Amino acid sequence: MKMFSKTLVSLFAAVVMLTGSSTAFADKLDDVIDAGVLRCGVVLDFPPIGYRDANNEPAGFDVEYCKDLAAALEVDYEIIAVTWAERLPLIVTNRGDVVFGGTSDTLSRAKTVGFTIPYAIYYAQAVVGADSGIVTVEDMYDKKVAAAVGTVPEQEWLKIAEELGIEGNYQGYQSENEVFLAVAQGKAHAGITTNTTVLPITQQFDTVIAGPRMPWGTDYTSVVGPRMDVTWLNYLNLFVTQQVRSGRYQELWGKFVGGEAPELRIPGVYY
Amino acid sequence: MDYNFHWRPVFKSLPDLLESALLTLEVAILSMILGILFGLALSLIRIKMTGPLKWFAVSWIELARNTPALLQLFFFGFGLGAFGIHFSPFLIVLLGLTFNNSGYLAENFRGGFNSIPETQIRASLSLGMNSFQTYTRIIIPQVLRVVYHPMTNQMVWAVLMSSLGMLVGFRELSGETQFFASKTYRIFEYFAATAIIYYVIVKIILGLSRLMASRLFKY
Repeated sequence: MKMFSKTLVSLFAAVVMLTGSSTAFADKLDDVIDAGVLRCGVVLDFPPIGYRDANNEPAGFDVEYCKDLAAALEVDYEIIAVTWAERLPLIVTNRGDVVFGGTSDTLSRAKTVGFTIPYAIYYAQAVVGADSGIVTVEDMYDKKVAAAVGTVPEQEWLKIAEELGIEGNYQGYQSENEVFLAVAQGKAHAGITTNTTVLPITQQFDTVIAGPRMPWGTDYTSVVGPRMDVTWLNYLNLFVTQQVRSGRYQELWGKFVGGEAPELRIPGVYY
Repeated sequence: MDYNFHWRPVFKSLPDLLESALLTLEVAILSMILGILFGLALSLIRIKMTGPLKWFAVSWIELARNTPALLQLFFFGFGLGAFGIHFSPFLIVLLGLTFNNSGYLAENFRGGFNSIPETQIRASLSLGMNSFQTYTRIIIPQVLRVVYHPMTNQMVWAVLMSSLGMLVGFRELSGETQFFASKTYRIFEYFAATAIIYYVIVKIILGLSRLMASRLFKY
């Protein structure tokens, strides 16, 4: 009996040690698999990349990427609708595991969160009021320009405005929906968004037409995860490459945006 | 939490935050001054008048008190915008706060008026004062004493509620904070600093209010 008790205690100690050690080394990848749910932050006012369909269900390129990642992990998925400004706090506060939200991989942001290799590429373009008279970027200098708070277009436009000494013509809004509404109502003459969003918005509002392409470079956007969880970021990197290799990237881009999916490689850069 | 705090960006932009705090105070004070004038008028109309003007006052008070302040701001921003009426973000917030303050203050004033015995009005009139003199010299000074502390509360509320202005693009203290937070991604640091600034502003308002009360209401 004494022997049995000793064995039982040893067994219990071994189980505790094993469980303890596995907890100590568990990373985000293990956490997600254990939880059985992948929590994806997705911007849903970014059609056709993220939006709500006729049934008010999340849809779009980013939503499908979340579903694909969940399927690869063999877990359920949960879409958390976020605004542009909420993308990083979602990860930092661990309310989400990953963000598919057209997040530009800036060095400034990389101090706070972790980025994968680029998974989608955009460029910035304006939507303008039909009677605004805006044809070129220069036409926007003396007009009211709007963008969503916390986005690269906002920061790039403010840089241009500062260089040119333009003051008081910029208006920031919480979401792109409000930016588009402001342009449609005439509160702003131009709203800066991404090229993929221009078509659905001009179809939605009669008073909004496509405007000029913005003068800054291509917007390489990455999947976002916790900065210190390198194994999770490695997995996400692999997921991004698998999406391209399997043809899923082209398939989803063709379905939601149309045409050939942009080349994700950056010329002259070795990832 | 997987996060390291960096305070340097906050210290660097502190002058901008303090400048925007002045904008917060400016819009809150203006909305209070207008709110007191409109609130006083609304409460008197509600108490003394009948007909369409009374219903207008009642509707204003009901809407201001029973709908979210955010929706009121959106009404002055995007609601009127749909009819081609555009205001600057400052004016949107000023109108929204004034509308809201007026509704709440009107009810405070109504309580104040009800607390003054009707006999005082009759006594004033019997002393030869006209209606205007009765109200400005006898009734309203007493009402202000009754509603002074609720008015202070409303001022605090106006300061804090002005933070909703960032949702209509107004760069007051919260809007400026969000701007810098999204620029530097030091979200917690900026909002923590801003919370302290709000706290200090409110404490100053309450301190000044107590000081004024000790001077105004000695007896």
